Amino acid sequence: MKSKKTDGLTVFLFLLPGLLLFVGILIAPLFMSAYYSFYQWDGLGEKVYVGWGNYKTLSLFKKPDAFAFGVPAMHAAVKHVFILAGLSLVLQLPLSLGLALLLGRGIKGERFFLSVFFLPVLISTTVIGRLWQKIFASEGLANSILTGLGILKEPLNWLAESEGNLLLVAIFIPMLWQYVGYHMLLMYAGVKSVPKELREAAKIDGATNWQVDRYVVIPSMKQVLKVSVIFAVTGSLKSYDLVAVMAPQGIKTQAAAVPSTVLHDFLSNRMKYGIGSAIAMVLIVLCFFFALLINLLFRDRDAKG
Amino acid sequence: MKKFLAAVLALVMVASLCACGGKNNTTATPTPEPIYEGDMTVSMWCIATEKDSNRASYEKAIADLKNMHKNLTLNWEAFENQTYKDKIKTAVQGDSMPDIFFTWSCAFLGDFVKTGRVYCLDDAYKEFANSLDEKMCRNTIYDGHKYGVPLTLNVVVLFANMDILKAAGWNDVPQTYDDLLKCCDDIKAKTGKIPFGCAGGETWCVTEYLEPLMVKNMGGEKLDNVFQAKDTWGNDKIADSVEKLQGMIDKGYFDPAAETLSNGEVQQKFIAGDYAFYQNGSWNCADFAAAKDGEFIKSVKVTEFPVVDSSASKLGELIGGPSDTLAVAASAKHASTVAKYTFELGQLICKYGYLAGSGLPAWKVDYPTDGINELTKKVSEIVNNASYLVLFGDTAMSADTKDIYLEAVAKVFSKQITGANFIAGLKSALQ
Repeated sequence: MKSKKTDGLTVFLFLLPGLLLFVGILIAPLFMSAYYSFYQWDGLGEKVYVGWGNYKTLSLFKKPDAFAFGVPAMHAAVKHVFILAGLSLVLQLPLSLGLALLLGRGIKGERFFLSVFFLPVLISTTVIGRLWQKIFASEGLANSILTGLGILKEPLNWLAESEGNLLLVAIFIPMLWQYVGYHMLLMYAGVKSVPKELREAAKIDGATNWQVDRYVVIPSMKQVLKVSVIFAVTGSLKSYDLVAVMAPQGIKTQAAAVPSTVLHDFLSNRMKYGIGSAIAMVLIVLCFFFALLINLLFRDRDAKG
Repeated sequence: MKKFLAAVLALVMVASLCACGGKNNTTATPTPEPIYEGDMTVSMWCIATEKDSNRASYEKAIADLKNMHKNLTLNWEAFENQTYKDKIKTAVQGDSMPDIFFTWSCAFLGDFVKTGRVYCLDDAYKEFANSLDEKMCRNTIYDGHKYGVPLTLNVVVLFANMDILKAAGWNDVPQTYDDLLKCCDDIKAKTGKIPFGCAGGETWCVTEYLEPLMVKNMGGEKLDNVFQAKDTWGNDKIADSVEKLQGMIDKGYFDPAAETLSNGEVQQKFIAGDYAFYQNGSWNCADFAAAKDGEFIKSVKVTEFPVVDSSASKLGELIGGPSDTLAVAASAKHASTVAKYTFELGQLICKYGYLAGSGLPAWKVDYPTDGINELTKKVSEIVNNASYLVLFGDTAMSADTKDIYLEAVAKVFSKQITGANFIAGLKSALQ
């Protein structure tokens, strides 16, 4: 009995530093944000309790008029990140999976290609943002190639905030491009964890490479796929850096707003800590919701199959 | 044991909520202290980064200050403009400010003064009253007390590349608004150049065009009252000014790629001769004087934006004023001594900034000014003849108001709203 108690205490004491860090850095700020979200506060003076008032000003469900200034652009922001999450699922993840499956077959130069595809993940987002700004500039590479090929008659103003949809396309392309390698690496680990014997058995039965991937490898790496989907969706919801670098004005005019940029605007520029905290809470709830939903969807599939 | 551990964890959770509260310092008029003669280390934050036009002024001023006070060790750091705004606000909130910090006047510093964390400079000012006119401190007086040391002052001016104007058939900068529009048409038709350089990608650069239009359309005092929330935004002259700016955009007077350009790029394109006019702050005089090894200045003329409505405004009503300021943290050790050093430093930065042409003097000039470039001299002449200075809108307004205003201005440039929308929206949001 005594040794069990001692063991338990030892385990707890070893976990305590990590637990304190976890609580101090993650849980405590979460509670503090929730607390601030019910107050009107400029970060310097007195806090004024406003209840759900901050949440009501977020205009999540109705797009505010273009000349309703000072209103958090959450309607547009959430729409943009939903589009980005959708594009991640439809474009980014299939591309990552395709590359992982190809490399997982043990092709020549496997390690070299792994490194090359992973490189964008290692580059600073600010550098990537500035690079793609130049690519999408009026006299940049994108316009040069498209006009040279005759696809465009005139160069496009990709990054002009008045060209709302174009601006989003210009921002989403590098965002999707940057993390293809990241998801590819996750999935590659999943591919490599599939026992060789299973592949060989399928091959002996006459399965093609594609059939092996589809019926043996992909089902075996379902948990990895689930993790990738969760990261892709929640990462899209939380996106900030590339948008801030590539379209600082688009954030102001809502053409390229995402929840994190709206949050930063209200916290840092407008010193409205209450509204900023409310936006943070909405973001957390959205991330939680989608993480649970994806878990549920994959669990249903597990139960069926 | 389990209950004990559960209690510890619960205590940690509750403790995190207790950190939500905080007590605010109240403003207290400081008791004057004797000047401290012992060794002291003072910290300072500013925005004079390596590429800032004021960097050299700061370096010379600090060197002079250290020579004047051998007991002083000044540790200073410079941050990029936008980063600095976040950093200093966080520092004020956390009461972890440097002893001396750069700030902008009016509402920006005013928000900090309200927290009681900025040192009152009334007593320290007395020693410098002969060198610093009280009206230069106007923008940093709150509830009748001084809290800031002005450095240089700047105004929005119109730089013109005379080579392009002459090629378009204009030997001088147009003196009236109608002539300016004719000149722009001629520039486009005869030279193929773009009349105005503006970094639409940075909203403050758009205000450098919109605010002079507003002041020359409605008058300095009226606009000043609007910026200071003493008058309504629902003024048809403001809507008219917005429509005029958008009219100029529609006529192709601005670069079609303006929204994607930074101010640095626009400035370089003006120097390269891509634009005929560049309307921006007078701090650009130093850069233009040095451009192309001093050759570019021969092609540049500086003036003010012409009057739009002569019944409401006149020449001499300008956008600008003393905005760059140094302030002292109330938490500074030997604060009254730090305050004295801050005034001395401010005077030196002003002097070197003026001599370098990166700003106009907020302090009295009692040194030779032969080396000042011709552009700065001309701007100095314009300011000396000025009848009214309206501080930049985004400096005059509080943090929240300023951001709403800049959001509206950004939408003006991208043509998302009309002039009527602009005034109605701002009136609704701010009043």
